[in-house]
Amino acid sequence: MDFNDILQIIISPTTAAFALAAIGLNFHYGLTGLLNMGVAGFMLIGMYGYGISVSHGVPAWLALIIAIVGAILFSLLLGWPTLRLRGDYFAIVTIAAAEIVRIIGRSQWLKDWTGGNTGIRGKDFKGPFEQLSPFPPRLIRVGPFQFHGTLSGSWWLILVGWVLVGVFALLFWRLNKSPWGRVLRGIREDEDAVRSLGKNVYGFKMQALVIGGVISALAGIVWAHGNAISPDSMGRTTTFWIWTMLLLGGAATVFGPILGTALFWAIYVAIKQLAPIVLPNLASTQVEPIALAAVGFGLILLIVFRPQGILGDKREIALNG
Amino acid sequence: MAKSNLFEGVASVPGAPKPDPILIADGVMRSFGGLVAVNVDHFEAQRHAITALIGPNGAGKSTFFNLLTGFDNAQEGSGTFNGRPLQGMSSAHVARSGMVRTFQLTKALSRMTVIENMRLGAQEQGGENFARALLAPLWRNREKEITEQAEELLTRFKLIEKRNDYAGSLSGGQRKLLEMARALMSKPIMIMLDEPMAGVNPALTESLLDHIVALREQGVTVLFVEHDMHMVRRISDWVVVMAEGRIIAEGDPHEVMRNQAVQDAYLGSHHDTDLFEERS
Amino acid sequence: MQQSTVSSLARNTVLWRIVAIIAIVAVLAFMIAQAAQAAPSQAESPAIGAGENRLLQTLLNGVIFGLLLALASVGLSLIYGTTGLSNFAHGEQVTFGAASAFVAVSAGAPLWAAIIIAVFAGAASGWVQDVLLWKQLRKRNVPHMQQMIVSIGLALVLINMMQIWIGPDRLRLSTESPVKKHFGPFALTPQTAMSMLICVIALGAVAYFLMRTRLGRATRAVSDNPALAAATGISVNRVIRVVWMMAAGLAALAGPLLALYGDTLDFTLGSRILLLMFAAVTLGGLGHPFGAAIGALIIGIVAELATVYAPTPDLKYAAVMAILILTLLVRPQGILGRKERVG
Repeated sequence: MDFNDILQIIISPTTAAFALAAIGLNFHYGLTGLLNMGVAGFMLIGMYGYGISVSHGVPAWLALIIAIVGAILFSLLLGWPTLRLRGDYFAIVTIAAAEIVRIIGRSQWLKDWTGGNTGIRGKDFKGPFEQLSPFPPRLIRVGPFQFHGTLSGSWWLILVGWVLVGVFALLFWRLNKSPWGRVLRGIREDEDAVRSLGKNVYGFKMQALVIGGVISALAGIVWAHGNAISPDSMGRTTTFWIWTMLLLGGAATVFGPILGTALFWAIYVAIKQLAPIVLPNLASTQVEPIALAAVGFGLILLIVFRPQGILGDKREIALNG
Repeated sequence: MAKSNLFEGVASVPGAPKPDPILIADGVMRSFGGLVAVNVDHFEAQRHAITALIGPNGAGKSTFFNLLTGFDNAQEGSGTFNGRPLQGMSSAHVARSGMVRTFQLTKALSRMTVIENMRLGAQEQGGENFARALLAPLWRNREKEITEQAEELLTRFKLIEKRNDYAGSLSGGQRKLLEMARALMSKPIMIMLDEPMAGVNPALTESLLDHIVALREQGVTVLFVEHDMHMVRRISDWVVVMAEGRIIAEGDPHEVMRNQAVQDAYLGSHHDTDLFEERS
Repeated sequence: MQQSTVSSLARNTVLWRIVAIIAIVAVLAFMIAQAAQAAPSQAESPAIGAGENRLLQTLLNGVIFGLLLALASVGLSLIYGTTGLSNFAHGEQVTFGAASAFVAVSAGAPLWAAIIIAVFAGAASGWVQDVLLWKQLRKRNVPHMQQMIVSIGLALVLINMMQIWIGPDRLRLSTESPVKKHFGPFALTPQTAMSMLICVIALGAVAYFLMRTRLGRATRAVSDNPALAAATGISVNRVIRVVWMMAAGLAALAGPLLALYGDTLDFTLGSRILLLMFAAVTLGGLGHPFGAAIGALIIGIVAELATVYAPTPDLKYAAVMAILILTLLVRPQGILGRKERVG
């Protein structure tokens, strides 16, 4: 068992990106009860918004703003007609919307902008961010961890990514405890009750949708810098992973998304290491499917036996109805 | 504020004008796919009184109730509450203008604590605005006020010991009390109770009735929908009877039951409520 | 009280209906305009050749794909109707059928026998699922949303098990090279014609089952109102068991037929059409199996038309997703569904 690999993945920028996406989902589902099954779509909006802008010469700070504005617009567009729908209808709409984003992104139609199904190449958009790195441009080893100083999944990206995680986890904490958060938790429980107390339910839900959407978009940008802008990596399965990470750690908690994400990847890597040992006849191409099947199985066990996750409060699980 | 004074001189006819109406409805029509559920020409509820809205099953009471509180939209009709028009008012807006309601199937927010339920009932908490929520000092004082008010109400409703318990762990009757206490947080001028006695065990009935009468003493106008005739006779100042979507009678609680139209309506729908027996 | 015009604008479903109708008319007009310009076609399926009239051929392709989709989707609708579960693992049922048929063919069985084996394997898998998993969840009163997430987890497990079973490569179910025959303006292979026939017969059998047999009527009763059905003596669990077997069996039948239609089979076969199935079921009305068939036909035709008339053919599923969203906004109960009372 190679613990270095496991430790490496726990702090990696990809994990940070997923933790950020899980926090975004936490605003949607944990706090407000919105069944957003299109998280990957928000991430794509973020990475396309940023990547397309930068690859066309827009400075990084402006590209970031464009990505955020894109996420806000997408949330408003998605939310305006659908926030009045029943929960499971909203879920289906978000899946469909995320699929549309992915299909359009990968299609030949807008290939000049989005790069089609191969996406936008790293060298076309990662530059500006990488140039800001204070670290030297070489592999740097710190204890068991080794990452590059500037390129792709670098120490710089780790720093930025996890700082963002910290910032938005803090935001969640503050807002959850605030009267604003209280209204959303009430909405999660029973919208009509909250209306009867004079609150504009639709407005509150929209605010939650936009905030969570922006955070997920930022997560997409972080992920893209550590990997690539690839629409096929941002499909239904990715959304379901993020759900698994959030539920594992505990929805509606501050540290749940972070713990769940780190644990998810640690277990994933551990299974990939253990599988060839436990099943010696396993071909190398079969290791990944085994690990993924284990994820699915884990999700089933989680939702049936401990839906509140590790950190959640059983009395607070918001899964009924 | 003796009962009899309020309704002196008011005719016992459907749609009778009241000396000081707080709630008025005109020409209200609501139908569902061809079936007319509510068709009320005129309705007035007297300020500072306890009005009961009764009628056999299917009379349209709940629909009318939902229309008045903004939880349903009439196809036709208009109304005013405390002088302001009810048109286009969403249910939240109605609540903000001083008319709060409770629900037949109690909506105590189970996965929040009792005190959090209560705090949610308050209005004018700036911290509910997203931007202001980020800066705690902006809303901390108001939060303290709200908490004090909540604790005072909880004490009055004898729920103070359950303050930090999750509302889901309360008994059915306690949840009813919580919902009523929560509704009072916004200091409403009118409270609309949707079958407050539904599912309540007899031991709790007296307590609930006392609380409702106490509301009137504090100047809150009460309107409630009920099937429980005992309660209606006990505490209501005025009774409005609906049947088949229309108001068929109004009057003093003890006299309106003797109205022939009312008896026909109840007997006609095979309602086996004990209308005629006066229990002391 | 009464809605005022301004405040009700955003809520007003009439407005959204008008928007939707304008959108649909605009899309249709666009497509017809493109057809008038004789836009270049990029034929998707090698089993269907371009006939004399492009539009008619496209419509036929749409009907074929729609029938296959209907076969796969009817089960999804039945499961939702009787148990309330949105089954995210239904795509894998389709893949399972195709994979089973492939394994049978590789072991030497003739194609027709392999398909029959696949159907039985599918039905068996439905039985196993209900016994080991879904019945247990129902017994514990696990809420529908949690069951939906369980089905998501199950889908993850199944798709990866399938990948291990038949490998990651694209396979072919049949080694025959299909020869197109021409019927007037249409061109299709005998294999495809046979597949269509099988679909129609299977769907007809389902219709007969639901309308004319006691168990079928019981199924409809459970779909309508499980409590009431149980009160009249119907064994709800038995009905659900049969529904699971039927749904999985039908999906398993659709699997090999889809693999033949597209002349390709891989472990993502069913997963790729899952959202199309949801679109079909939603469009037709959740819980109405006939609606699912109608919805599937519409979806199939739209997808094929989009292949020809959209800016690029790989956008076709985006068009279907747009229809799904529009349906939920404008008429969430679908074509055959009844509107839920709000008041």
